[in-house]
Amino acid sequence: MSASDAPAPPREASTPPAPSVASRPLRPRFSALPATVTGLILATAWWLASVLAPALPGPGATGHALWDMGLDGTLVSIVWRTAAFMGICFAVAALLGVTGGLVIGMSRGLDRGLSPYLAALQGMPTSMWIPVAAIVLGTDVWSLGAVVALGAVPAIGLSTRTAVRNVPPLLVRAGRTLGESGWSLTRRVVLPAALPGIVSGLELGWSIAFRCLVAGEIFSGALSGTGIGEVIGRARATGDLTEMMATVVIVLLFSVTVDRAVFARAQSRLRVNRGLVDGGLSR
Amino acid sequence: MSAAVRFDGASQGFSRRGSHRSALAEVTLDIGAGEFVSIVGPSGCGKSTLLDLVAGHARPATGSVTVGGQPVTGPGPDRMLVFQEHALFPWLTVTQNVEFGLRAARVAEGERAARAAEWIARVGLADAAHLHPHELSGGMRQRAALARAFSLRPRVLLMDEPFSALDAPSRDRLHVELQDLWRETGTTIIFVTHNVREAVVLGDRVIVMSSGPGRVIAEVPVTIARPRVVESRRVVDLAQHVRGLLDEADQMGISAPREGKDGYVSI
Repeated sequence: MSASDAPAPPREASTPPAPSVASRPLRPRFSALPATVTGLILATAWWLASVLAPALPGPGATGHALWDMGLDGTLVSIVWRTAAFMGICFAVAALLGVTGGLVIGMSRGLDRGLSPYLAALQGMPTSMWIPVAAIVLGTDVWSLGAVVALGAVPAIGLSTRTAVRNVPPLLVRAGRTLGESGWSLTRRVVLPAALPGIVSGLELGWSIAFRCLVAGEIFSGALSGTGIGEVIGRARATGDLTEMMATVVIVLLFSVTVDRAVFARAQSRLRVNRGLVDGGLSR
Repeated sequence: MSAAVRFDGASQGFSRRGSHRSALAEVTLDIGAGEFVSIVGPSGCGKSTLLDLVAGHARPATGSVTVGGQPVTGPGPDRMLVFQEHALFPWLTVTQNVEFGLRAARVAEGERAARAAEWIARVGLADAAHLHPHELSGGMRQRAALARAFSLRPRVLLMDEPFSALDAPSRDRLHVELQDLWRETGTTIIFVTHNVREAVVLGDRVIVMSSGPGRVIAEVPVTIARPRVVESRRVVDLAQHVRGLLDEADQMGISAPREGKDGYVSI
């Protein structure tokens, strides 16, 4: 890299760095502006509502309560315990749902036999099982965990089955021609081809599981151990909603984080890889 | 690496809601090892069914189909099918698509990569090896599909109107390249098309089929020197002769269904 290095100057002159810089703005960039504007509008609406209905704590009071919960460790504890509970239950649900959906989607007989019941289970609010499980399995984490995990299975299973059914037959034929069959064909052709539909099913399953978790907390605060039930219990006893609203905000932020970090990212990767994103000027 | 294909009184039909429709009347046909045979005929004449029988995706209702003397019992990597739509896996890159069949055949990793790279280069896609199918043009997709099929060193290559969705310049180029690949590999190729000139350009022999139910009505040997191109005078003349055979069968109405009836196609 000395100044006497002869070939360096012409090389620099022949390859100006401009094009790589110019192509940058074409890439999609995450912009926080639209989400921030929407957030401010919603906060204003919330503030107006709290002025009209004095029982509803406003953004200021809720923010204060959030700050206190952050200081005494309640916030971290709620987020951590919710994440652990949901993580474990959802992993079980995803495993059972996707496997079951694949098996049902590949077999016409099983599909005819099982799909009506899965559809019935999916239509029924899962939280109806909570009292049943609480009495059969006892009022502890396991009973709610079982309901949350199994409650999400029908939605995930049915979405997977539909996604498997919608796999283009040409791809399956191509896989067969290239020498694949049985489980190997399912794993290498059917599963990746059905993945976009499966991810939608997982997203649906996640929201069902979360609803079920909160329904369990309302039924009895001792069920999940996430701490949400205790907050609900205190709000019920005192009539003070500040801590409740703070917890609602925590759960909202938690859901947004999971959606952005997991589901939205997975969907967008799938779309880009399969050419479902317009590569033209709109990108 | 090639094998002879023999249809011995093979027929095929479809049953739907109780009514039986014959797609292919009994066909007897001998295709030599390393021969390049074109099959031409109107839509619905059972051309694709013939390929399915060889590929093992369908079984003959009567008669038998043998490849290299062995009856066909199911799909196998010795018989590759190239489709009208490229049928590449959209979530895999070109390289991964070509390696797909090699992986299924349990080819060791090092050889797999080498063979995929070799075939991708041979079809002229070396610069596009890392791209996904949606980033390729129609012609490039069919090239990738060709590389995927050839890399498995099939004894028989079955092609089901593979170039019919391409623009004319891409198609002409692929005609020349396919003839080169065929000459270099010596694979038996059965090429189905509804384009008469394409059939004459590519085949050692053109099998002419008629519909309702599908049957072989003529076999036309092609002795024009290779590589051939569609514009060549002798190709055009021979194509006119084949066209005449197709029209004759159509006008005689021996087997062509009436207008408005099931299976009717206008040519």
